[in-house]
Amino acid sequence: MPDLSTTLAGLKLANPTLTCSGTCGYAKEYADFMDLSQLGAFVTKSITREERPGNEPTRIVETRAGMLNAIGLANVGLKRFLNEKMPVIRTMPCPVIANVAGYSYEDYVETCAAMNGLDGIVGVELNVSCPNVKDGLTFGTDPVRLKDLTRQVKNVLPDKPLIVKLSPNVEDIIATARAAIEGGADMLSLVNTFTAMAVDIWKRKPRLANVTGGLSGPAIKPIALHLVSRVYRGIARSTGTPIIGMGGVQFWQDAVEFILAGASAVSIGTALFVDPATPNKVCTGLEEYLAKIGVEQLSDLVGTLELPGDKPKAAL
Amino acid sequence: MDRSPRGQYLTTVRANVPLCREHFRLTLLVEDFPVSEPGQFIQIACVGPDDNGPVDHVIEWSPGERPILEGAELSAAMTMLRRPFSLAGRRETIAGTELDIIGRDVGLGTRWMSQLAPGDVVNIIGPLGNAFELPPKDGIALMVGGGVGIPPMIYLAEKLAQFGRKGVAFCGATTLDLLSLTINDASMSLRSSDVATTPQLNVVEFAAHGIPAIITTDDGSYGAKGYVTGALEQYLDASLPDGTGRAGAVIYTCGPELMMKRVAQIALSRSIACQICVERAMACGMGTCQSCCIKVKKDDPQLPPLAGKDWCYRLACTDGPVFAAEKLLW
Repeated sequence: MPDLSTTLAGLKLANPTLTCSGTCGYAKEYADFMDLSQLGAFVTKSITREERPGNEPTRIVETRAGMLNAIGLANVGLKRFLNEKMPVIRTMPCPVIANVAGYSYEDYVETCAAMNGLDGIVGVELNVSCPNVKDGLTFGTDPVRLKDLTRQVKNVLPDKPLIVKLSPNVEDIIATARAAIEGGADMLSLVNTFTAMAVDIWKRKPRLANVTGGLSGPAIKPIALHLVSRVYRGIARSTGTPIIGMGGVQFWQDAVEFILAGASAVSIGTALFVDPATPNKVCTGLEEYLAKIGVEQLSDLVGTLELPGDKPKAAL
Repeated sequence: MDRSPRGQYLTTVRANVPLCREHFRLTLLVEDFPVSEPGQFIQIACVGPDDNGPVDHVIEWSPGERPILEGAELSAAMTMLRRPFSLAGRRETIAGTELDIIGRDVGLGTRWMSQLAPGDVVNIIGPLGNAFELPPKDGIALMVGGGVGIPPMIYLAEKLAQFGRKGVAFCGATTLDLLSLTINDASMSLRSSDVATTPQLNVVEFAAHGIPAIITTDDGSYGAKGYVTGALEQYLDASLPDGTGRAGAVIYTCGPELMMKRVAQIALSRSIACQICVERAMACGMGTCQSCCIKVKKDDPQLPPLAGKDWCYRLACTDGPVFAAEKLLW
């Protein structure tokens, strides 16, 4: 039986499939539709210090091979998260990572500090790249600020791995990746959604109330894959920082592409809206793939993509 | 919160019947479908079950010939998200449960659905959302459906009959050939003034459950000319004047938002209970994407969520799609 297990910065996962924050609720929303015990890890919806109602509708538009969303970080806030969601999270049959968003250093620090000793949360993913909120500082596109934020957060989160989720809406993603790593990130996840828009040609207005939204789904997979490959080769490989690859993963073949490009694990997001059982199916596909190519450990494949100029890989 | 079981099911197309211009009734056969109620919906994946991911394509091509592209990803426009549809009826058969949905061909997904043939396999998720609550035993259900808002009323009629409740249906369409209902032939010759003012057992889908209906068309091509909301008001004033059983009456509505807002006004101004089945842009249908939000009144300003002092967002998919008219702030 091929081995899909992986260890990310000390975090042992039974397999490399995760859910993307914001596409799977807080805990058991998909319990009727998928086997949560077969997830490598579950990543919660973004939590902010204060509760947020989110943006006005319309919040979503389907596009070719993808969708735009502008939810605006609608969430219950830290207090209700701790009181109402944590009891359910503690009964989850898989590791749970909390995704944290904020608008100021204090926001992030306070929320992450609450996560450090929190039983039932194995790690924190920092959302520094939500493209759909206009208030507050932008951390995801400014390397100096990102490094500073990561350091402040890591200071209050010494006991748990910190994942920084990178924005693709930057000129040089290696600069923000480096800033996060130098700030103390234990892992990187990439990429968040791409800022984009859609137009109603009859009303001559944007389709989203927020005007712009984040593009996700299979449409972004080739770009996300390229960015994972760039970050892996540009910095993460040399610093030994695990990458969680995401962006349009829908089938096991997509997951293999991300893993070959340098991701140690993959997150599934938009595809969950269509089929919540996607991670379970991806795992089955990965097992069959490993059996077919005669590789025992999936982790042996991470970053084994051979680019022109690389030392030729041993034949599989 | 307790919910009936839900899940993802592979169904087989039993029938796909054109009803009128652009509209079709799709009947899906599914084994072991959970209990469902009128008002609930299913999410339909508008892609074939053979869309199992990328395949290694070998394209045979020699100069001077057209290459032959195969595989949906290369040759077809694809939908990404599922499409939500109200259940329009349900029957138990020896082979399993038959579910009806009525769709209108307005885009990629519904075009695909309109072309399905018996035997085709369709992936659905459901049953989703909450449901209409029946009127009290001696009450009456006044069902107001407009266009693609008519289907949940047909399922509701089924349940009213099952529980021995009275009902009247008010169905509006812009014009006769966009009316997705079956008018029995005899009534086509009725004078339009007759079908316009008195509920008749002339609409097969409702008459089958002993429920009379009034049809309106914007252009007067059948039934009463005008909006369905006008017919509702007329009926209320003529048949249910103040103090004559209004207490047991419940108005149910689904259709264009402007129509539903007017129905809500009519109900609220007469102190008649009103349940509204809303339609919102929706991705998941399972409470995760947070896109199908609608503004509702908060019962207690102290209660979370603290979105606004006296309002908050609720999700059409899991808190709805049915909301009490007095709760909606739309």
